[in-house]
Amino acid sequence: MSERAGFGEALAGWLLTGPAILAYLAMLLIPTLAVVVLAFTDFELGMPGFHWVGLDNFSELLTDHGMRTSVRNTALYVALVTPASILAGLGLALLIEAGSRGKVFFRAVFFLPVVSLMVAMATAWQYLLHPTIGPVNAWLALFGIAGPNWLGSSDWVLVSLGLIGVWENAGFNMVLVLAGLTAIPRELYAAAEVDGAAGPWARFRLVTWPLLGPTMLLVTTITTIRAIRTFDSIATLTQGGPNKASEMIVWTIYQEGFSYLRMGYAAALTVVFLVVVLAIMLVQTRLIEKRTHYS
Amino acid sequence: MTETFAPSRRALMLGSGLLAMPAIGHAQTVTNITAHYSMPAIFKSAQDAILEAFHASQSEVRVSYVNATPTYEDGAQLLLRGAATGQLPDVTFQGLNRMRLFAERGITRDLRPYLADEGNAAELGYSAPILAIGFQGGKQAGLPFAMSNPISYYNVDLFRRAGLNPDAFPTSWDGVIDASRRIRALGGGIEGMFFRWPGDDWMFSALLFGHGGDMLTPDEKDVAFNGPEGLASVRLLDRMVKEGGMPNFAGVADLQAFAAGRLGMMFRTTAQVRGILESVGQTFELRTTIMPVIDPARGRLPTGGAGAMIAARDDARARAAWRFVKFATSPVGTSLMVRNTGYVPTNQIAIDDPKYLGDFYAANPLFQAATRQVGIMKPWYSFPGSNSVRVTQVMVDNLARIAEQQATPEVVLADMADQVRRLLPRA
Repeated sequence: MSERAGFGEALAGWLLTGPAILAYLAMLLIPTLAVVVLAFTDFELGMPGFHWVGLDNFSELLTDHGMRTSVRNTALYVALVTPASILAGLGLALLIEAGSRGKVFFRAVFFLPVVSLMVAMATAWQYLLHPTIGPVNAWLALFGIAGPNWLGSSDWVLVSLGLIGVWENAGFNMVLVLAGLTAIPRELYAAAEVDGAAGPWARFRLVTWPLLGPTMLLVTTITTIRAIRTFDSIATLTQGGPNKASEMIVWTIYQEGFSYLRMGYAAALTVVFLVVVLAIMLVQTRLIEKRTHYS
Repeated sequence: MTETFAPSRRALMLGSGLLAMPAIGHAQTVTNITAHYSMPAIFKSAQDAILEAFHASQSEVRVSYVNATPTYEDGAQLLLRGAATGQLPDVTFQGLNRMRLFAERGITRDLRPYLADEGNAAELGYSAPILAIGFQGGKQAGLPFAMSNPISYYNVDLFRRAGLNPDAFPTSWDGVIDASRRIRALGGGIEGMFFRWPGDDWMFSALLFGHGGDMLTPDEKDVAFNGPEGLASVRLLDRMVKEGGMPNFAGVADLQAFAAGRLGMMFRTTAQVRGILESVGQTFELRTTIMPVIDPARGRLPTGGAGAMIAARDDARARAAWRFVKFATSPVGTSLMVRNTGYVPTNQIAIDDPKYLGDFYAANPLFQAATRQVGIMKPWYSFPGSNSVRVTQVMVDNLARIAEQQATPEVVLADMADQVRRLLPRA
């Protein structure tokens, strides 16, 4: 009797999770496996067949100059965008939380970049950062500063894309931190005050920051991933130029696969990319998790 | 509710059935084919007009469009994916420089047998230079449907302010560079000129072909752009930056500056005349003219635009597809295309006989610049082998070093030749 009930329950469980499992298999797992298989071939889009080439794609990757530039640019971009947008998100959240008026308004304003489409915003950015008619350089000129050629100079293009990246990510982080802030029990602040933590800095250091730990872990992980996989700002604003100065990994993969039609090589790049991202996430989670559990 | 609705729905079906009756009458001879094109923003009205006229002209072939792809690149991917999954449109309009890729991969048909069946191609308006545009990789890969060439755009108001005569646009690059310097001297963030070298190798080939040069040797085994013509081309680009003060505009920054009235001269495709005219509006007086001439005897200009190709697997459908391709590139078809886009006509009869487009050009003088250069148009060179697109990127990346003044023209040309050589097919 109880066995049959258990079976029924298991069946119901499978039935209920069925659609999700199917979707996961069809949309994620099988395509990912297909990419792994493709990585060992010389498949080109539009060619009738393909050959198995073993590890050729991976060994080419090691000597590929373009890929090296791309990895370096991505690393620089992540190193700039991740901390800056986390700090910006945290700062905005604290300011909004501490403020008494216009909370909803500011929340909406800073969240706007997240819901706006980069493809649509590209024209606006191109105009704002225009070397001669752009408002940003016009504003800098008021202070006697000759603004750079933001998107056209190979020295500045990564910084410009980074600033746009911070603008895109800060609002998202702000919302996550705001959620984390509301979960902090009010009594802890009262208790801290009784114990002598009077100033705002002491309150932040002793209560807010430690209790935000799990939130900050999530924010760091998400921001890192979002920064690594940056694609649309490059595709719409710079196409990796000038002279590969804004070439980043996902753009390179796209170029190899869809412009140069080398699906096999692009698949190999994707596999390596996937492994590296997973490794970063794992290390990050392990390292920080140790310091964020208080139970 | 449903009860009362059903009869009316049946009546509706009957009605549409009756409307379709004439078609049923010829049921055994009607062939339905599909067609595909890119850049609906530019081509939709032209394609719709051509389809309507084609259907009105005959009743044996019915064409329906599959969803238009936003760019030539998306269009190429659609065809390549279709080749892998067996879902190819029967007719496809592709960027002229990508036709070779499809012909080489056997995705589209060689059109020579169809042209041979028609007898004298020239009588249909397919003159030798027009056929040459679509002759790539040893095959008649396609027929040009819309052609463009680079032209000069200029701001008449800035010309006047700089003390230049807008009725006498410089006919040489020396004159352009000098004018650029004088316009730039107006100050206030006004730039003199922009030559649109980024994006792809098209505008670089305008300089190279302008000097009478070629991309590769005739046997396509080695680069040819590193000769005296190529060197003169990169040096000219270098002078535009050094002497003309040409800014390093990325993306559409040149269009933005021009529309804002802060750029004197701009050199890019005629395909944008309509768009630029709209963005300029009443800000200033816009004019267009031919490109400065480099070598009056040997100089040529590259051809951009789209070509019609047949990808049908089935022979009967391919024959039906040919009829549509022939119509789209006929004097009538090309006139509809020109009126709705601003590209150069691709049929010699429509070019020569004023009854097709005479009134259009009289009313739209900005479109004339490109047609005046039709005689010196030459195919947009597409490189052989599977690295053809990568070669383009290599060239753009190297030209960026001149625009940023990071390397001398000599070094850039040598590097470019070296890198492109490695990407050519080894035979």
